Amino acid sequence: MSEVIQKDTMLSYINGEIQSNANSVAIRAINVRGKDALENTPFPTRKDEDWRFIDLNAIKKNRFTSVSYANAAEVGDISKHYLPEALNTRLVFVNGIYNEELSSISDLPNHVIVGNMSEYGDHDAVKEHLGTITNYDDDAFAPFNDAAFEDAAFIYLPEETSVEAPIHILNLFTDAEKAFYATPRLLFVGEMYSKATIIEEHIGLANNVYLNVPVTEFRLFAGAHVHHARIQRDSKQAAHVSRPIAMIDRNAEYHSYTICLGAKLFRNDPRVIQNAEEVDFTVDGLVLIDGDQIADTHSIMDHRYAHGNSHQLHKVVVNDNAHSIFNGKIFVAKDAQKIDSFQENRNLLLSDDGKVNTKPQLEIFADDVRCSHGATIGHLNDEEVFYLHSRGLTEQKSRELLVYAFALESVESMEVESVEKLLLDEVIKYTTRD
Amino acid sequence: MSEEVKALESMIGEEYKYGFTTDVEYEDFPKGISEEIVRELSKRKNEPEWMTDFRVKAYHAWKEMEEPTWFNATYKKPDYENLLYYSAPKKKPQLDSMDDVDPNIRETYEKLGIPLEEQKMLAGVAVDAVFDSVSVFTSFKEKLAEAGVIFCSMSEAIQDHPELVKKYMASVVPVRDNYFSALNSAVFSDGSFCYIPKNTKCPMELSTYFRINNMESGQFERTLIVAEEGSSVSYLEGCTAPMYDENQLHAAVVELVALDNADIKYSTIQNWYSGDENGKGGIYNFVTKRGICKGRNSKISWTQLETGSAVTLKYPSVILQGDNSIGEFYSVAVTTKMQQADTGTKMIHLGKNTKSTIISKGISAGRSQNSYRGEVKIGKKAHGSKNYSVCDSMLIGQECGAHTFPYISSENPSSSVEHEATTSRVGEEQIFYLMQRGISEQDAISMIINGFVKDVLKELPLEFAVEANKLLDVKLEGSVG
Repeated sequence: MSEVIQKDTMLSYINGEIQSNANSVAIRAINVRGKDALENTPFPTRKDEDWRFIDLNAIKKNRFTSVSYANAAEVGDISKHYLPEALNTRLVFVNGIYNEELSSISDLPNHVIVGNMSEYGDHDAVKEHLGTITNYDDDAFAPFNDAAFEDAAFIYLPEETSVEAPIHILNLFTDAEKAFYATPRLLFVGEMYSKATIIEEHIGLANNVYLNVPVTEFRLFAGAHVHHARIQRDSKQAAHVSRPIAMIDRNAEYHSYTICLGAKLFRNDPRVIQNAEEVDFTVDGLVLIDGDQIADTHSIMDHRYAHGNSHQLHKVVVNDNAHSIFNGKIFVAKDAQKIDSFQENRNLLLSDDGKVNTKPQLEIFADDVRCSHGATIGHLNDEEVFYLHSRGLTEQKSRELLVYAFALESVESMEVESVEKLLLDEVIKYTTRD
Repeated sequence: MSEEVKALESMIGEEYKYGFTTDVEYEDFPKGISEEIVRELSKRKNEPEWMTDFRVKAYHAWKEMEEPTWFNATYKKPDYENLLYYSAPKKKPQLDSMDDVDPNIRETYEKLGIPLEEQKMLAGVAVDAVFDSVSVFTSFKEKLAEAGVIFCSMSEAIQDHPELVKKYMASVVPVRDNYFSALNSAVFSDGSFCYIPKNTKCPMELSTYFRINNMESGQFERTLIVAEEGSSVSYLEGCTAPMYDENQLHAAVVELVALDNADIKYSTIQNWYSGDENGKGGIYNFVTKRGICKGRNSKISWTQLETGSAVTLKYPSVILQGDNSIGEFYSVAVTTKMQQADTGTKMIHLGKNTKSTIISKGISAGRSQNSYRGEVKIGKKAHGSKNYSVCDSMLIGQECGAHTFPYISSENPSSSVEHEATTSRVGEEQIFYLMQRGISEQDAISMIINGFVKDVLKELPLEFAVEANKLLDVKLEGSVG
């Protein structure tokens, strides 16, 4: 018996070799590391606790090829996706590759860097922080991004600098003949007392199959304030597996909001690591899914030091055959006293064939803490529907309005007006569809 | 603060009150497990062939299974080859009265404070006392028989009511349900069997006290309660065990079946030896408890006070199959020293308008780890179902941990699930407030803890509630800071 047993790894679903032609030494080092990890990391199965409920067929039944072989279509006019507040603070990546023509970065304070990482490969912040906090133990997705990325968004804020305009990272995915993969990457380094708002968007321009595996790394030093919105509007045929991670220092504030609207399969594992005392962070999410969409969020709020506030509000609306999964962990390490952490997961199940799994999880090793979570799965309140109905709205309209109100809370926390508007339009589109 | 912690520590340090052993001669039986041993065990118990087959099948199923590791606890796996799977006090002539019971055994019960004699009769409680594995004394049988209630040891039930045992045994917890249920099915020694006929309210509370008394003897109890249409029963179970250094395995299976309009209440106080300060010794308590609300409007309620055992893995569950059925789970789990408890419940909603309530209170002190693990599942056809869960944890001291793993899923849009959990400590302000009113620190802490667990303890039958309160105080004496 000399048969070699074919291991099921990420590579089983990739056509051809993963190649990166990055010039930067720092990036190449990460590429190599990722490649090594990929060969030995098994592809997740339902037997893995973290992948128990999710159906990965959207990935498994395809073979994804690199973009250069996919015959990707042109981008066309994308100006409608520009944010008026961020006209000159915008980076555009098409299928994971930096597009200088569409990007515009002329409106930045001194010494702030917003650009393609391959041009800043020698920057100290890149050398020091790229790929250092991402969690590689879990599965093959972060290593896959590591192995394949060439271009990446790099944002660097020196001490006591604040960027007033929101920084818009626009990831576009075009139509293509073949299913392709893309590995957008974002590294943010905010030095002491810096401040910025980042809008990270993923937009599928057509209704095609692709695999989007982004990794974002946020390193916030003492007193830095960051507002990070992630808006996922991938093609409804696409699979999107995200690995956003943030590590924050004393007095830093990191508020992240993930809005899931698109993709057939969305898996998001946000993680915030408290790296010093006295921090404040948010890991919010809004998921609006229908059809046969699957959205799975596995978040970790990792409290390693004393005195921290954290908050999570994860709202989900499920319609048709859609399936939502939520697993939110709150960790409190030994000696991380005086942590105040609250997690809330609200699910609205609208259809007979929809499905919701939720598992809010507390793992507490310190005694003087206040940690709580609440999770609900429910339907629209009949009395509320009746109330609106009695005020002259049709029943249909009443229901739409109530779903809209349910989603509103998450949308209102967006600090950028045009983003808020855009999301409200999306919510209306979701609630009033036929 | 540090003084409070010290007070707390001293409370935790309370020695195990029931650590003594009884000298009773044991019949010879080889150690270890194999098909021959299973057959031999069945033979010694004089069992019919179908029972032997059941055991042998279960043994082979167990052989194929792997010992689970998914829970939040670490322990040295029991050496299954080194366990004694059969132990029974030496056969005595048929007993006519209490006086015929082995005096040693009687003394043991007295030390445990089990009023097997007249007090119990006055209290109106029938006792099926299981000493190690074989029932040695059963009282009130006649009174129960009058009402038509069958309450006997499992061995007797296998002999006398084979049709009922055949019909219901393993119908709720299948042999292959899990590693420990398979093992239990193969080698279960004895247990209680209870059958409440149609439209009968069981005339008294039923209770079993059993204790592990033989070093290296695994305890494999098997309890089956069947409540026919319109009947109701309340069953109490309590246990204490002597102090040993060798870890002892306890893998019981409890099955409850409630038919139309039936009502079963199952209460447990568990206070087995939990090991010493350094986690040496103590009982492994790996119990599979499950009830099925088979009929319409039926109800199953689990109440438990878990204070003992080195490692507890226990998830009393309810399958809500009948329409309008109700499942309840009330639990207090206290861990101190090096104890590890991974306990919770499962509520599986299958029928329409089914309701379940989960109230779980965890208290961890010392260097213990206390986890709540629960599952609430609303099936596709469970229209209009509701679940409400609360699990609160309290931490006492800086070296313990509290964890919550609630799995919630719903496939029905007309149902609703609510879950909330908190983790906190005994507030210094609360203690201060009470002390300021002239209450000693110790009493203040005791009051606060009693308040914390009140919602659960009030569900216990009165006889148990008193015992439960005492037990909590003893366990946590000197604990809180």
